[in-house]
Amino acid sequence: MEFLVGSVWAAGLAIGIAAFGCGIGQGLGLNGAMAGISRNPEAAGKIQVNMLIGLALIESLCIYALVVAMILLFVHPAIAPAVKALGGH
Amino acid sequence: MQDLQKIVDFITRSNWLILLLGGMIGLVMTPMKFALGIILGGLIVAVNFHLLKGTLKKMCHPDTVSEKGRSIVGNVLVKYYIRFAISGFLIFLLISKHIVHPVGLLAGLSVVVASVFLATALELKKIFFKEAV
Repeated sequence: MEFLVGSVWAAGLAIGIAAFGCGIGQGLGLNGAMAGISRNPEAAGKIQVNMLIGLALIESLCIYALVVAMILLFVHPAIAPAVKALGGH
Repeated sequence: MQDLQKIVDFITRSNWLILLLGGMIGLVMTPMKFALGIILGGLIVAVNFHLLKGTLKKMCHPDTVSEKGRSIVGNVLVKYYIRFAISGFLIFLLISKHIVHPVGLLAGLSVVVASVFLATALELKKIFFKEAV
């Protein structure tokens, strides 16, 4: 029972913190990029390319956290026995 | 600028190549669920990358920036959360219904990261090679 509660807590915290952090990271990156483009419109192409790579990497981190949360909730080997013990299926 | 554009083109192409290669290796050498995880995970992130590219191309145009200002940040973030929610739902279905092996899915989701690392390694190689000459 404690394990199940711990897993649910961990999964919720994992995705919550990851989405929060990634949102802040993307916002900061975009904010800097927008400021750069408005100051120097000719550099828009360069900024855009670098930002694309950076944002793709940040998004990947969040997706990894999501998968880890899903694994904790649905495919962890100890989840099925714990749910069965609680009378679920 | 052209060099940078080349890097993005390389990453876009290598995404599909790595997905194809990983999928084929998975199909030959690993169980079906694992291979399916690599293929579906790779597809999710490759399509995500394309959508992100489209959004940024549209939003980072100097005319759009001067016209819309800081609201672009919110706009891009909203699109990010929508994409993330859809990817999340797909990953939820894949894992909760036990359609794919989670480790295979993680490998598939790493396609874009692998492409970026590959591009970085090739650029570093170019720099070191130039310095040596």
